[in-house]
Amino acid sequence: MLAFFNDNFGRHLVEQTDDPVADARRALSSGHRMKKGGGPQRIASGWAIIRPAKSTMQFELAADGIEYSKQTRYEAFLAELENWDGTPRMFIEFAKRPVPVGNLFRTFDLRQVRICSPSGVETFDFTKAPEKDGCKTHKVLWKLKKGEK
Amino acid sequence: MDKLKITAHLLAPLVTGGGYMTLDGLLAALLFDRLHDVDAAHAAIPVRQTAGLLHASAAIMEPIRERVSFIAALRPTHSIDPDHVQKNKHGQLHRKFDTSLTNVMNSYAMLTAPTVTWYAEGDADRIGQLLAPVQFIGKRRAAGFGRVAQWQIEPDDLDGIEGTFGEPLRPVPVDMFKGDKTHPIVDAAWRPAYWNPIHRTACYAPT
Repeated sequence: MLAFFNDNFGRHLVEQTDDPVADARRALSSGHRMKKGGGPQRIASGWAIIRPAKSTMQFELAADGIEYSKQTRYEAFLAELENWDGTPRMFIEFAKRPVPVGNLFRTFDLRQVRICSPSGVETFDFTKAPEKDGCKTHKVLWKLKKGEK
Repeated sequence: MDKLKITAHLLAPLVTGGGYMTLDGLLAALLFDRLHDVDAAHAAIPVRQTAGLLHASAAIMEPIRERVSFIAALRPTHSIDPDHVQKNKHGQLHRKFDTSLTNVMNSYAMLTAPTVTWYAEGDADRIGQLLAPVQFIGKRRAAGFGRVAQWQIEPDDLDGIEGTFGEPLRPVPVDMFKGDKTHPIVDAAWRPAYWNPIHRTACYAPT
Protein backbone atom coordinates (compact mmCIF):
# COMPACT_ATOMS: atom_id res chain seq x y z
CA MET A 1 0.00 0.00 0.00
CA LEU A 2 2.76 2.45 0.94
CA ALA A 3 4.72 1.38 -2.15
CA PHE A 4 1.73 2.49 -4.24
CA PHE A 5 1.68 5.89 -2.51
CA ASN A 6 5.44 6.42 -2.65
CA ASP A 7 6.00 5.09 -6.18
CA ASN A 8 3.19 7.05 -7.77
CA PHE A 9 3.17 10.22 -5.67
CA GLY A 10 5.62 10.53 -2.78
CA ARG A 11 8.76 10.01 -4.87
CA HIS A 12 7.97 13.17 -6.82
CA LEU A 13 8.01 15.15 -3.56
CA VAL A 14 10.68 13.66 -1.30
CA GLU A 15 13.78 11.53 -1.69
CA GLN A 16 13.07 7.86 -1.08
CA THR A 17 14.85 5.85 1.61
CA ASP A 18 14.46 2.26 2.83
CA ASP A 19 11.77 3.38 5.30
CA PRO A 20 8.45 3.65 3.36
CA VAL A 21 6.48 4.87 6.38
CA ALA A 22 8.91 7.74 7.02
CA ASP A 23 8.98 8.58 3.29
CA ALA A 24 5.19 8.77 3.12
CA ARG A 25 5.04 10.81 6.32
CA ARG A 26 7.58 13.31 4.97
CA ALA A 27 5.68 13.65 1.69
CA LEU A 28 2.48 14.44 3.60
CA SER A 29 3.86 16.68 6.33
CA SER A 30 6.98 18.47 5.10
CA GLY A 31 7.20 21.64 2.99
CA HIS A 32 7.49 21.42 -0.80
CA ARG A 33 8.45 24.02 -3.39
CA MET A 34 5.45 25.77 -4.92
CA LYS A 35 4.87 26.44 -8.60
CA LYS A 36 4.22 30.12 -7.79
CA GLY A 37 7.58 30.39 -6.00
CA GLY A 38 8.24 31.48 -2.44
CA GLY A 39 9.16 29.31 0.48
CA PRO A 40 8.30 25.62 0.74
CA GLN A 41 4.77 24.87 1.91
CA ARG A 42 3.10 21.79 3.26
CA ILE A 43 0.13 20.49 1.23
CA ALA A 44 -2.54 22.11 3.37
CA SER A 45 -5.58 22.12 1.07
CA GLY A 46 -7.04 20.55 -2.04
CA TRP A 47 -7.05 16.93 -3.06
CA ALA A 48 -5.04 14.23 -4.82
CA ILE A 49 -5.95 11.18 -6.86
CA ILE A 50 -3.10 8.70 -6.96
CA ARG A 51 -3.12 6.30 -9.89
CA PRO A 52 -0.74 3.54 -10.99
CA ALA A 53 0.51 5.79 -13.77
CA LYS A 54 0.06 9.55 -13.44
CA SER A 55 -1.31 11.12 -10.27
CA THR A 56 -3.24 14.38 -10.13
CA MET A 57 -3.54 16.97 -7.38
CA GLN A 58 -5.02 20.42 -6.92
CA PHE A 59 -2.37 22.17 -4.79
CA GLU A 60 0.11 23.50 -7.36
CA LEU A 61 3.58 22.40 -6.39
CA ALA A 62 6.74 22.78 -8.45
CA ALA A 63 7.18 19.00 -8.51
CA ASP A 64 7.33 17.35 -11.92
CA GLY A 65 5.72 13.97 -12.51
CA ILE A 66 2.35 15.05 -11.07
CA GLU A 67 -0.53 16.58 -13.00
CA TYR A 68 -2.29 19.61 -11.55
CA SER A 69 -6.00 20.34 -11.81
CA LYS A 70 -8.25 23.22 -10.82
CA GLN A 71 -11.33 21.01 -10.38
CA THR A 72 -12.99 20.87 -6.97
CA ARG A 73 -12.46 17.69 -4.98
CA TYR A 74 -15.99 16.51 -5.67
CA GLU A 75 -15.76 17.19 -9.41
CA ALA A 76 -12.45 15.33 -9.59
CA PHE A 77 -13.58 12.37 -7.47
CA LEU A 78 -16.83 12.03 -9.40
CA ALA A 79 -15.07 12.09 -12.79
CA GLU A 80 -12.61 9.46 -11.56
CA LEU A 81 -15.29 7.14 -10.19
CA GLU A 82 -17.49 7.48 -13.27
CA ASN A 83 -14.55 6.63 -15.55
CA TRP A 84 -13.22 3.81 -13.40
CA ASP A 85 -10.83 1.51 -15.28
CA GLY A 86 -10.61 -1.09 -12.53
CA THR A 87 -7.06 -0.26 -11.41
CA PRO A 88 -6.38 0.93 -7.85
CA ARG A 89 -6.78 4.55 -6.80
CA MET A 90 -6.03 6.52 -3.68
CA PHE A 91 -8.33 9.48 -3.01
CA ILE A 92 -6.90 12.04 -0.58
CA GLU A 93 -8.41 15.22 0.86
CA PHE A 94 -5.82 17.59 2.31
CA ALA A 95 -6.43 20.07 5.11
CA LYS A 96 -4.49 22.19 7.55
CA ARG A 97 -3.50 19.14 9.58
CA PRO A 98 -1.34 16.57 7.73
CA VAL A 99 -2.96 13.32 6.62
CA PRO A 100 -1.62 10.56 8.93
CA VAL A 101 0.00 7.65 7.11
CA GLY A 102 -2.40 5.36 8.98
CA ASN A 103 -5.31 6.99 7.13
CA LEU A 104 -4.03 5.98 3.68
CA PHE A 105 -6.05 3.28 1.92
CA ARG A 106 -6.38 2.36 -1.73
CA THR A 107 -9.72 1.91 -3.46
CA PHE A 108 -10.05 -1.23 -5.59
CA ASP A 109 -13.80 -1.47 -6.06
CA LEU A 110 -16.67 1.00 -6.49
CA ARG A 111 -18.51 -0.87 -3.72
CA GLN A 112 -15.81 0.09 -1.21
CA VAL A 113 -14.62 3.59 -2.12
CA ARG A 114 -12.31 5.12 0.47
CA ILE A 115 -11.64 8.83 0.90
CA CYS A 116 -8.56 9.50 3.03
CA SER A 117 -8.30 12.72 5.06
CA PRO A 118 -6.61 14.07 8.19
CA SER A 119 -9.68 13.32 10.28
CA GLY A 120 -10.18 9.72 9.14
CA VAL A 121 -11.38 7.60 6.24
CA GLU A 122 -14.81 7.67 4.64
CA THR A 123 -15.93 4.36 3.12
CA PHE A 124 -18.98 4.03 0.91
CA ASP A 125 -20.62 2.00 -1.86
CA PHE A 126 -20.72 4.20 -4.95
CA THR A 127 -23.00 1.76 -6.77
CA LYS A 128 -25.80 2.56 -4.32
CA ALA A 129 -27.51 5.73 -3.13
CA PRO A 130 -26.29 7.00 0.24
CA GLU A 131 -28.31 6.14 3.29
CA LYS A 132 -29.66 8.80 5.60
CA ASP A 133 -26.70 8.46 7.97
CA GLY A 134 -24.19 7.99 5.11
CA CYS A 135 -20.97 9.98 4.84
CA LYS A 136 -20.81 13.50 3.41
CA THR A 137 -18.68 12.71 0.36
CA HIS A 138 -21.04 9.94 -0.74
CA LYS A 139 -24.04 12.27 -0.45
CA VAL A 140 -22.37 15.11 -2.37
CA LEU A 141 -21.04 12.82 -5.12
CA TRP A 142 -24.42 11.15 -5.50
CA LYS A 143 -26.15 14.53 -5.89
CA LEU A 144 -23.59 15.59 -8.50
CA LYS A 145 -24.03 12.27 -10.29
CA LYS A 146 -27.77 12.81 -10.46
CA GLY A 147 -27.22 16.34 -11.76
CA GLU A 148 -28.53 17.99 -8.60
CA LYS A 149 -26.90 21.04 -7.06
CA MET B 1 -5.43 -27.57 16.46
CA ASP B 2 -9.24 -27.50 16.76
CA LYS B 3 -11.83 -25.56 14.81
CA LEU B 4 -13.56 -23.34 17.36
CA LYS B 5 -16.35 -20.86 17.88
CA ILE B 6 -15.54 -18.34 20.59
CA THR B 7 -18.27 -16.16 22.04
CA ALA B 8 -18.00 -13.25 24.43
CA HIS B 9 -21.28 -12.53 26.22
CA LEU B 10 -21.34 -8.78 26.79
CA LEU B 11 -22.77 -6.85 29.72
CA ALA B 12 -21.96 -3.40 28.32
CA PRO B 13 -21.58 -1.77 24.88
CA LEU B 14 -18.27 -2.20 23.11
CA VAL B 15 -16.31 0.90 22.08
CA THR B 16 -14.00 0.61 19.10
CA GLY B 17 -11.80 2.85 17.01
CA GLY B 18 -12.57 0.72 13.95
CA GLY B 19 -10.83 -2.22 12.34
CA TYR B 20 -11.78 -5.85 12.13
CA MET B 21 -11.02 -6.81 15.76
CA THR B 22 -9.64 -10.21 14.77
CA LEU B 23 -9.24 -12.86 17.46
CA ASP B 24 -5.50 -13.11 16.83
CA GLY B 25 -5.21 -9.36 17.40
CA LEU B 26 -6.93 -9.75 20.76
CA LEU B 27 -4.77 -12.74 21.70
CA ALA B 28 -1.60 -10.91 20.60
CA ALA B 29 -2.49 -7.96 22.83
CA LEU B 30 -3.04 -10.30 25.80
CA LEU B 31 0.28 -12.02 25.13
CA PHE B 32 2.08 -8.70 24.79
CA ASP B 33 0.86 -7.69 28.27
CA ARG B 34 2.69 -10.76 29.61
CA LEU B 35 5.74 -10.90 27.34
CA HIS B 36 6.42 -7.19 26.69
CA ASP B 37 7.82 -8.12 23.27
CA VAL B 38 5.82 -7.61 20.08
CA ASP B 39 7.56 -10.29 18.02
CA ALA B 40 7.41 -12.84 20.85
CA ALA B 41 3.72 -12.08 21.37
CA HIS B 42 2.92 -12.59 17.69
CA ALA B 43 4.92 -15.83 17.57
CA ALA B 44 3.04 -17.19 20.59
CA ILE B 45 -0.51 -16.71 19.26
CA PRO B 46 -2.05 -20.19 19.72
CA VAL B 47 -3.76 -20.18 16.32
CA ARG B 48 -2.92 -22.10 13.14
CA GLN B 49 -0.99 -20.16 10.51
CA THR B 50 -0.75 -20.79 6.77
CA ALA B 51 2.06 -18.80 5.12
CA GLY B 52 1.69 -16.16 7.81
CA LEU B 53 -2.10 -16.00 7.55
CA LEU B 54 -3.70 -16.63 10.93
CA HIS B 55 -6.80 -18.82 11.03
CA ALA B 56 -8.80 -16.45 13.24
CA SER B 57 -11.82 -14.47 12.15
CA ALA B 58 -12.76 -10.85 12.60
CA ALA B 59 -15.28 -10.06 15.34
CA ILE B 60 -18.79 -10.95 14.22
CA MET B 61 -21.70 -9.16 15.81
CA GLU B 62 -25.06 -7.64 14.96
CA PRO B 63 -24.88 -4.39 16.88
CA ILE B 64 -26.81 -1.20 17.21
CA ARG B 65 -24.22 1.37 16.08
CA GLU B 66 -23.79 4.80 17.63
CA ARG B 67 -21.03 7.39 17.70
CA VAL B 68 -19.61 8.34 21.07
CA SER B 69 -17.02 10.95 22.00
CA PHE B 70 -14.88 11.26 25.09
CA ILE B 71 -12.83 14.14 26.42
CA ALA B 72 -9.45 13.00 27.62
CA ALA B 73 -7.72 15.44 29.95
CA LEU B 74 -4.00 15.01 29.46
CA ARG B 75 -2.23 15.56 32.78
CA PRO B 76 1.40 14.46 32.65
CA THR B 77 2.81 12.89 35.78
CA HIS B 78 5.90 15.06 35.49
CA SER B 79 6.66 18.33 33.75
CA ILE B 80 9.61 19.37 31.59
CA ASP B 81 12.43 21.24 33.30
CA PRO B 82 12.29 24.75 31.73
CA ASP B 83 16.09 24.89 31.81
CA HIS B 84 16.13 22.16 29.18
CA VAL B 85 13.81 23.98 26.77
CA GLN B 86 15.17 26.43 24.20
CA LYS B 87 14.18 30.05 24.94
CA ASN B 88 13.02 32.69 22.48
CA LYS B 89 15.05 35.84 21.77
CA HIS B 90 13.53 37.52 24.85
CA GLY B 91 14.76 34.71 27.05
CA GLN B 92 11.22 33.39 27.59
CA LEU B 93 9.91 29.90 26.96
CA HIS B 94 8.13 29.30 23.68
CA ARG B 95 4.67 29.06 25.20
CA LYS B 96 3.23 27.28 22.21
CA PHE B 97 5.40 24.31 23.14
CA ASP B 98 3.69 24.12 26.52
CA THR B 99 1.12 21.39 26.04
CA SER B 100 1.27 20.16 29.61
CA LEU B 101 -2.41 20.87 30.35
CA THR B 102 -4.72 20.13 27.51
CA ASN B 103 -7.90 18.28 26.65
CA VAL B 104 -8.44 16.19 23.54
CA MET B 105 -11.71 14.80 22.19
CA ASN B 106 -11.72 11.33 20.62
CA SER B 107 -14.64 9.93 18.67
CA TYR B 108 -15.38 6.20 18.48
CA ALA B 109 -18.05 3.76 17.37
CA MET B 110 -20.14 2.29 20.19
CA LEU B 111 -21.58 -1.14 19.40
CA THR B 112 -24.37 -2.54 21.51
CA ALA B 113 -24.95 -6.27 21.10
CA PRO B 114 -25.46 -9.24 23.42
CA THR B 115 -22.52 -11.21 22.04
CA VAL B 116 -19.36 -11.02 19.94
CA THR B 117 -18.35 -14.16 18.08
CA TRP B 118 -15.08 -15.29 16.49
CA TYR B 119 -14.21 -18.46 14.56
CA ALA B 120 -10.69 -19.85 14.72
CA GLU B 121 -8.53 -22.90 14.30
CA GLY B 122 -6.22 -23.16 17.27
CA ASP B 123 -5.34 -24.59 20.64
CA ALA B 124 -8.61 -24.49 22.59
CA ASP B 125 -6.97 -24.86 26.01
CA ARG B 126 -4.38 -22.16 25.43
CA ILE B 127 -6.95 -19.76 23.95
CA GLY B 128 -9.21 -20.44 26.92
CA GLN B 129 -6.39 -19.73 29.37
CA LEU B 130 -5.65 -16.40 27.70
CA LEU B 131 -9.28 -15.26 27.46
CA ALA B 132 -10.58 -16.47 30.85
CA PRO B 133 -9.21 -13.53 32.89
CA VAL B 134 -10.36 -10.92 30.34
CA GLN B 135 -13.28 -8.98 31.80
CA PHE B 136 -13.35 -6.07 29.35
CA ILE B 137 -12.60 -5.75 25.61
CA GLY B 138 -12.32 -2.80 23.21
CA LYS B 139 -11.52 0.79 24.07
CA ARG B 140 -12.54 2.71 27.23
CA ARG B 141 -12.41 -0.46 29.27
CA ALA B 142 -11.57 1.45 32.43
CA ALA B 143 -14.85 3.34 32.03
CA GLY B 144 -16.78 0.06 31.99
CA PHE B 145 -17.29 -0.40 28.26
CA GLY B 146 -16.96 -3.84 26.69
CA ARG B 147 -17.59 -5.74 29.90
CA VAL B 148 -17.61 -9.50 29.30
CA ALA B 149 -19.86 -11.65 31.48
CA GLN B 150 -18.64 -14.98 30.12
CA TRP B 151 -16.39 -16.55 27.50
CA GLN B 152 -17.68 -19.60 25.68
CA ILE B 153 -15.48 -21.84 23.52
CA GLU B 154 -17.07 -24.66 21.57
CA PRO B 155 -16.20 -26.88 18.58
CA ASP B 156 -17.27 -25.65 15.15
CA ASP B 157 -16.74 -26.37 11.45
CA LEU B 158 -15.30 -23.02 10.29
CA ASP B 159 -11.57 -22.39 10.04
CA GLY B 160 -11.64 -18.65 10.80
CA ILE B 161 -10.88 -17.69 7.18
CA GLU B 162 -13.93 -18.59 5.08
CA GLY B 163 -17.56 -18.64 6.10
CA THR B 164 -20.25 -21.16 5.16
CA PHE B 165 -20.89 -19.47 1.80
CA GLY B 166 -17.22 -18.81 1.00
CA GLU B 167 -17.33 -15.27 2.36
CA PRO B 168 -14.15 -13.91 3.97
CA LEU B 169 -14.27 -14.03 7.78
CA ARG B 170 -11.13 -11.91 8.11
CA PRO B 171 -8.84 -9.90 5.81
CA VAL B 172 -7.18 -12.39 3.45
CA PRO B 173 -4.69 -11.28 0.75
CA VAL B 174 -6.17 -11.63 -2.72
CA ASP B 175 -3.65 -14.27 -3.84
CA MET B 176 -4.33 -16.43 -0.74
CA PHE B 177 -8.13 -16.32 -0.79
CA LYS B 178 -9.93 -19.39 -2.15
CA GLY B 179 -13.50 -18.40 -1.31
CA ASP B 180 -16.18 -16.33 -3.04
CA LYS B 181 -14.32 -13.71 -5.10
CA THR B 182 -17.38 -11.63 -5.91
CA HIS B 183 -16.78 -9.74 -2.65
CA PRO B 184 -15.11 -6.33 -3.03
CA ILE B 185 -11.34 -6.07 -2.63
CA VAL B 186 -10.17 -3.62 0.04
CA ASP B 187 -6.89 -2.37 1.43
CA ALA B 188 -6.51 -4.01 4.86
CA ALA B 189 -3.83 -5.24 7.23
CA TRP B 190 -3.76 -9.02 6.93
CA ARG B 191 -1.57 -9.90 9.90
CA PRO B 192 -0.62 -8.28 13.20
CA ALA B 193 0.29 -5.61 14.08
CA TYR B 194 -2.93 -4.48 12.43
CA TRP B 195 -2.26 -0.79 13.14
CA ASN B 196 0.91 -0.88 11.05
CA PRO B 197 0.26 0.32 7.46
CA ILE B 198 3.21 -1.80 6.30
CA HIS B 199 0.94 -4.85 6.73
CA ARG B 200 -1.80 -3.39 4.54
CA THR B 201 -2.42 -5.07 1.19
CA ALA B 202 -5.22 -5.86 -1.26
CA CYS B 203 -7.52 -8.25 0.58
CA TYR B 204 -10.89 -9.88 0.56
CA ALA B 205 -12.39 -8.88 3.90
CA PRO B 206 -15.70 -8.95 5.78
CA THR B 207 -18.03 -6.09 4.86
